[in-house]
Amino acid sequence: MALSRRDFMKQAAAVSAAGAIGMKVAPEALAAAQEAEKGWKWDKGVCRFCGTGCGIMLATRNDKIVAVKGDPAAPVNRGLNCIKGYFNAKIMYGKDRLTQPLLRVNDAGEFDKQGKFKPVSWDKALDVMADKFKEAYNELGPTGIGVFGSGQYTIHEGYVMSKLVKGGLRSNNIDPNARHCMASAVVGFIQAFGIDEPSGNYDDIEYTDTAVMWGANMAEMHPILWARITDRKLAEPDRVKLINLTTYTNRCSNLSDTEIIFKPQTDLAIWNYILHEIVYNRPEMIDQEFVDKYTVFATGPCDVGYGMRSNPDHPKYTELERETMVKQVRKVLSEAEGKTLAHLGYKAGDTMENKRAAGAIKHWIIKFEDFKKGLEPYTLDFVAELAKGDPDESLESFKAKLQQLADLYLEKDRKIVSYWTMGMNQHTRGSWVNEAAYAVHLMLGKQAQPGNGAFSLTGQPSACGTAREVGTFAHRLPADLVVANAKHREFSEKMWKLPAKTLNGKPGSHYTKLLRDIEDGKIKWSWVQVCNPWQNTASANHWIKAAREMDNFIVVSDVYPTISAKVADLILPSAMIFEKWGAYGNAERRTQHWKQQVTPVGESMPDVWQAMEFAKRITLKEVWGETKVDAGLTLPDVMPEARAMGYTDDDTLFDVLFANKEARSYKWPDPIGKDTLNTLAEGDKRKVAGFEGYGFFVHKYLWEEYRKFGVGHMHDLADFDTYHKVRGMKWPVIDGKETAWRFNADYDPYVASKNPGEQFAFYGPALKAMPAGDLAGPIKGDKVKLPNKAKIFFRPYMDPPEMPDNEWPFWLCTGRVLEHWHTGSMTMRVPELYRAVPEAVCYMNGSDARKKGIDDGDAVWIESRRGKVKAHAELRGRNTMPPGTVMIPFFDERVLVNKVCLDATCPISKETDFKKCAVKVYKA
Amino acid sequence: MSGAKDMDRNETGRREFFSRLARGAAAAVAGGVVWGGLVREGQNAPLALRPPGALSESEFLAKCIRCGLCVEACPYDTLQLAGPGSGEPTGTPSLKPREVPCYLCTDIPCTVACPTGALDLALVSTDNGRTLDVNQTRIGLAVMDYHNCIAAWGLRCDACYRACPLIDKAITLEHTRNERTGRHAMLLPKVQTDVCTGCGLCERACIVEEAAIFVLPHEVALGKVGDNYVRGWDEVDQQRVNPDGGAADQVDQSGAGALDYLNDGVLGGEVDDD
Repeated sequence: MALSRRDFMKQAAAVSAAGAIGMKVAPEALAAAQEAEKGWKWDKGVCRFCGTGCGIMLATRNDKIVAVKGDPAAPVNRGLNCIKGYFNAKIMYGKDRLTQPLLRVNDAGEFDKQGKFKPVSWDKALDVMADKFKEAYNELGPTGIGVFGSGQYTIHEGYVMSKLVKGGLRSNNIDPNARHCMASAVVGFIQAFGIDEPSGNYDDIEYTDTAVMWGANMAEMHPILWARITDRKLAEPDRVKLINLTTYTNRCSNLSDTEIIFKPQTDLAIWNYILHEIVYNRPEMIDQEFVDKYTVFATGPCDVGYGMRSNPDHPKYTELERETMVKQVRKVLSEAEGKTLAHLGYKAGDTMENKRAAGAIKHWIIKFEDFKKGLEPYTLDFVAELAKGDPDESLESFKAKLQQLADLYLEKDRKIVSYWTMGMNQHTRGSWVNEAAYAVHLMLGKQAQPGNGAFSLTGQPSACGTAREVGTFAHRLPADLVVANAKHREFSEKMWKLPAKTLNGKPGSHYTKLLRDIEDGKIKWSWVQVCNPWQNTASANHWIKAAREMDNFIVVSDVYPTISAKVADLILPSAMIFEKWGAYGNAERRTQHWKQQVTPVGESMPDVWQAMEFAKRITLKEVWGETKVDAGLTLPDVMPEARAMGYTDDDTLFDVLFANKEARSYKWPDPIGKDTLNTLAEGDKRKVAGFEGYGFFVHKYLWEEYRKFGVGHMHDLADFDTYHKVRGMKWPVIDGKETAWRFNADYDPYVASKNPGEQFAFYGPALKAMPAGDLAGPIKGDKVKLPNKAKIFFRPYMDPPEMPDNEWPFWLCTGRVLEHWHTGSMTMRVPELYRAVPEAVCYMNGSDARKKGIDDGDAVWIESRRGKVKAHAELRGRNTMPPGTVMIPFFDERVLVNKVCLDATCPISKETDFKKCAVKVYKA
Repeated sequence: MSGAKDMDRNETGRREFFSRLARGAAAAVAGGVVWGGLVREGQNAPLALRPPGALSESEFLAKCIRCGLCVEACPYDTLQLAGPGSGEPTGTPSLKPREVPCYLCTDIPCTVACPTGALDLALVSTDNGRTLDVNQTRIGLAVMDYHNCIAAWGLRCDACYRACPLIDKAITLEHTRNERTGRHAMLLPKVQTDVCTGCGLCERACIVEEAAIFVLPHEVALGKVGDNYVRGWDEVDQQRVNPDGGAADQVDQSGAGALDYLNDGVLGGEVDDD
């Protein structure tokens, strides 16, 4: 058999693909493939894209990734992938990969904010970066700098940055783009269960009878999970019911038994209708024993605003913008709110002064009677009228659907899982809606069991693993610890071998506030890693202007040129996922590690290296002296204790935080890394900036130190080596075993120790001593201790701050498409994906368009009080819009929809509502 | 999947046809027979995809005056005039969806622009040409090569389905269980022959190296069921049958007619002697 070289390669690819899907392969083809695969090395990895966390296998040859296959051994996907996963290798080799540091310079080659980008050496780049850092830090203190982090950081990267910024620089101004996607889910978990992340896992799909999508377009955003849901439906088509709750027809509707199109924001009213149905009409369906033993009732304040700037008269905002911004201070209540806030004595037309915006997170324990009273307005008639989202649907039809929805939840012996993603999280009452989901499941005793539970799907590949578990948020430390808690700081200082009181107890600025701070001149130095804030954040016009026109220095580490890189002052070329060791944690608590497969391209270097090289340029005495944070807080001089611990004034943060004695005890080479590249440990063939490795196993050290935070504290992770032998494990990992369902004694060993003899224990420790009160507020007295209890919240429906009116008649919703990842920086460079979906279009209802003389494919302007953007109208595509709503995905930097969006957030979680603002649409 | 196999077999034939065509064109160019040889008026180009409203290929070529007005009217530069060496009669309009598909403009400017009726408004309208309906367009038919479709491998793609302007009508999803994984379904795109406009947005979107879904002219893409059988479960299926047609194409096994056959020779072993 004379095969050409090209044929050889083709055969090899075909055989590996055949292996992945279990096809039989002819013996001669197999022999040919083995011949072609000489010099290939297959190793496991994890998909770079969404929170599903599919396992992949990567083939490398001659230091290049030559093929990818779904990992047949990966429990999540069993060898399958979606089309983004299919292109994992191709994202790495785009023509415009950033390969050199780029600095804005003048003719003399010196930094100049108005200069053009020119290549500079790593040394020069890092020196300028450190100098500019010191300028800002010395002038403004720890709040004068900020780091934009990511739910796509590897766990190691997030850990290094958290330790550097919080432990080294004594700043809490580090916050991930996960703020935009998961923060509301986090608040829901912490407030309801005292611990972050879902109780269940993806196997719930195979166990359940009912999947309800609440603002989760799984068909496109979690493609492999949707294939599992579809399979479940096919297995028992009559028994298994799928309900798609959404504000427009999306691809999940295709397979669903019922599609419920609701008006934006009214999902909370629908949850409350289900609770009303339980409490008022069918109380016998309450799992009374479960509720009595394992739950309490709670509520919180309503006059909390919408997470907008507290000063609507801000000089940098226009009159038009202020029309919405003023609602942060006060809002006239609508007819609906007159009913839903009646329990607080409000009526329609009253003005609510949002006095408790700063205390939005507070809550207190109430009695069941209060809970019931709060739910009184949510009758079927009221909610159907409020929530019907398609003007063309009859009220009767909509009512019947709501009734069916409630019936499914209430049906005894019917297992049910509620899924949500950004629909519920990106919401000015996002934390509340998350809590409402748990309220329904807890009332019915349908939580934390196989096939039963409310399950928050994560968007990003390591929003759980890194952003949340490592705690790269402005208020968090690893393993659910928080900076505001003195005991948590003390524990973390010990773990990190820092002098006592090094850590700053004041939470930093959240992602959107980092940008507001830049606009206000309060942050003059920032570092952007693995994210694209200038494209992904609402009110983008403000941030672009602030970056270019204010006195500040912005560093962007990235792999491709993005909008954020374009507005930056220094660009650092980063290594991509398989050019470094790493780990991600997916939505079902599964931690998955991979090894470095290839040498990074050009002079790009891993983010961990960038952080460490930066840390080499900062000495202890520059950051550990007495440091003023604000008028009320000055961090003490910790140098005396530092010296007592053996550190010297001129030790660098690198020496202390990353290359300390313990770190160096992790030797390289190490058997687990046999025949594997390790740029950080031993350098690589390029010797970028003369670098020849740190001489120790950096990633293993970081992992082993990090996991100490959680072991024995309900966040147990396995040791480094174990993860390189398995296809991921769901934490807590106890005695080498993963935990499938938390809080349930049948599966979770912690239940026996926390709540001996009981079936359930919602043992999360956070917020478990709360005041008691009634619907109006807490009553003075002792705090109630709530060991092992979950909280069932009552949260009322409230309008979003900006709703369509005559001038701005449409709702604008943003989101994603299957073909592209987030801001498109990777997938828009894959020719196949680009060709499949080359631009973001404006999905629009046909009759709305006809009224305005807009035809399919016409260019239209979409304009809000904040800005406008041009896109082509799409009247017949994958999303079918009801009258009055338009949708534009955010992946396309040429259709920068965040110029139009409003940066209102959930006042508790600070997660932006990208799903709702008011716009007009007209022909361009 | 027997369907895939069949398709594969047909596919090979078509691919060969494609490459023969290309070779022919190349030979023509190499031989210097550029214009005269290619501008053979009236010669059909069986693989050319004609603009919306085009008459059947031979009628279209008879009426098309190569004026280029349809090409000029197309806002997306979808339509191209055939040049020498293209394998199509020079000056006639066609489209290559993998490069630029037809976006199905609701005002169908190309058809409207045609001065001769080679592009016939009646074919893209309802009420006998009074109301334009671009969904009546039949440029060709999207055909799937399931062998090279990654959705048929079980991967979650269905990019063609989502690209289809008549999603859930012209391309639907067939859900089947993936027996290998035991927990995933396959979402298989399926072209609905009677709805597909042949716009080629699917072909354009297909993410494999050479599109696994592609538009072919109906004459090439479609088989044809004979008139001798009518679906008993479909009341309108008999409309398909031409009662005056009728096939005298039976195989004449006996050669010389029944009587001669019966009277000729004896049974057993002697056939070879003939």
